Amino acid sequence: MPTSSAEAAAPALRVRGLRAGYGDAPVVSGVDLDLACGQVAAVVGPNGAGKSTLVKALLGIVGFVEGEVVIDGRVTTGMPLERLARLGVGYVPQVEDVFESLRVRENLDMGGYLLPRRERARRVERVLETFPALRPRLDRYVETLSGGERKMTALARVLMLEPRLLLLDEPTASLSLSVSRVVLDQVRRLADLGKAVLLVEQRAAAALAVADWAYVMVRGGIAMSAPARRVLDDPAMREVFLGARASAGG
Amino acid sequence: MHLLVDAVGFGIAAGAVIAIGAVGFSLQFGMSNVLNITYGALMTLAAYLGLFLLGRGLSAWAAMPLCAALVGLASVGFRRLVVAPLRRRGTGALGMVIVTVSAGIIVEYAIVAVAGTAAQSYGRQSGATLHLLGMTLTAGQVAIILIAAGLMLGLHLLLTRTTLGRAMRATAANPTLARSCGIATERVGDAAWLLSGGLCGAAGVALALTTVSFDFTLGSVFLIPMIAAAVLGGIGQPYGAMLGALVVGIASEVAGALWDPAYKDVVAFLILIVMLLVRPRGLFGAAWSARRLLA
Repeated sequence: MPTSSAEAAAPALRVRGLRAGYGDAPVVSGVDLDLACGQVAAVVGPNGAGKSTLVKALLGIVGFVEGEVVIDGRVTTGMPLERLARLGVGYVPQVEDVFESLRVRENLDMGGYLLPRRERARRVERVLETFPALRPRLDRYVETLSGGERKMTALARVLMLEPRLLLLDEPTASLSLSVSRVVLDQVRRLADLGKAVLLVEQRAAAALAVADWAYVMVRGGIAMSAPARRVLDDPAMREVFLGARASAGG
Repeated sequence: MHLLVDAVGFGIAAGAVIAIGAVGFSLQFGMSNVLNITYGALMTLAAYLGLFLLGRGLSAWAAMPLCAALVGLASVGFRRLVVAPLRRRGTGALGMVIVTVSAGIIVEYAIVAVAGTAAQSYGRQSGATLHLLGMTLTAGQVAIILIAAGLMLGLHLLLTRTTLGRAMRATAANPTLARSCGIATERVGDAAWLLSGGLCGAAGVALALTTVSFDFTLGSVFLIPMIAAAVLGGIGQPYGAMLGALVVGIASEVAGALWDPAYKDVVAFLILIVMLLVRPRGLFGAAWSARRLLA
């Protein structure tokens, strides 16, 4: 369970008995999860454990979702995805995380779709303070950018609405180690600014290094829930769940 | 030589009509991934609505925006009542084509039930003959070229400068991501079908204006050059469709002038088949895709 400071704060996300999947077959089942503002909760585990399906289930974009998902005290199970944005939920998918055929500026504009036009321009300036490397790329089509720049565009886009809860599905996938580090540092910074971040990551060790809490997923369920530092420091956990040898340094 | 120059002029005029229709068709496909064959029958419907309004004393030019609005609304109705429910049930691309072909036939026979099968005409449109760069064009043809250019410019500004237009492009590119940004993709889809239906209606009246006579098959026959233009430009890309329309229009008219007018439609068929064989992603392929408006 989260730290005492997290328990004191109102939970940004509370999940109880989540069961979700495609067709009749559940991919995740019996998942309980808590996340407070200002915290990063890393969801780690082997390939095929159901991590991405878990995120999609929280957003209602899988075949079926059962159980209870509560965001900022409101039950959101089955709520349309476009309404979740209004509740302050930001989502960066693992792939197709940007509007490829739009310019960077237009991607940011769409991130702030719910805002009045003038406010949108103000927010663009604010997210560019967080991602200054995007400023000279504003008029470039996203499909012409490097992997790191695209990921920054995706993160900048999702920050346009200043969400309270961020769901990030493998934000470092297919990025180099150095760019991954920059992205994960940004993730930590966002939590320090008061956002609740659910971080699904394949690069478990790197994710746990910036996380407060860890949920280790195996075969669709939560096999372990503990402070990130404890999981990171546990040699057995590293070996069994995190593939420490394979992801050394990552 | 003079014949050839005149043919190019007629080609530009024909291309303007094709462009209005093809851009709407391409926009609709880009937004919804549905190859809507009903589009041709809705063009015919617009032509007959225009005829009805002409009978009530309106000019064809005044009837055009009204027909565009009515067909736009009909298009949204078709999306809401037929396309969207079928999509929700998981109907595949082929199934959707069969449904839209069937719906097109129903619309055509509804027109026959009301207006009969006899050939119709908007009558000879009065107006001067203009000579431009050696080409001879009627005032009506020039007006249609200007209307087409105005509509293309308007569409460009809508797609690139307005929040609605950007939301349309975002929805076409990645609907789930668009929804996660708070974009009401269903409403944006309705707006796109209203717009593309409006273009379909305008194209129907423009086609009837430039045709000596027409019957209930007007739109379905015109579908071939329109789809050829859309495929030539890369289907789903309105800019490509504009240029594709010009190429199909000029090629058809030049072929008609050099060989036989009967070859005009054959050229459109030929372009369509060759493009699908050689460059199915459109003439501009990957190079164009970096600047495409709709994914």
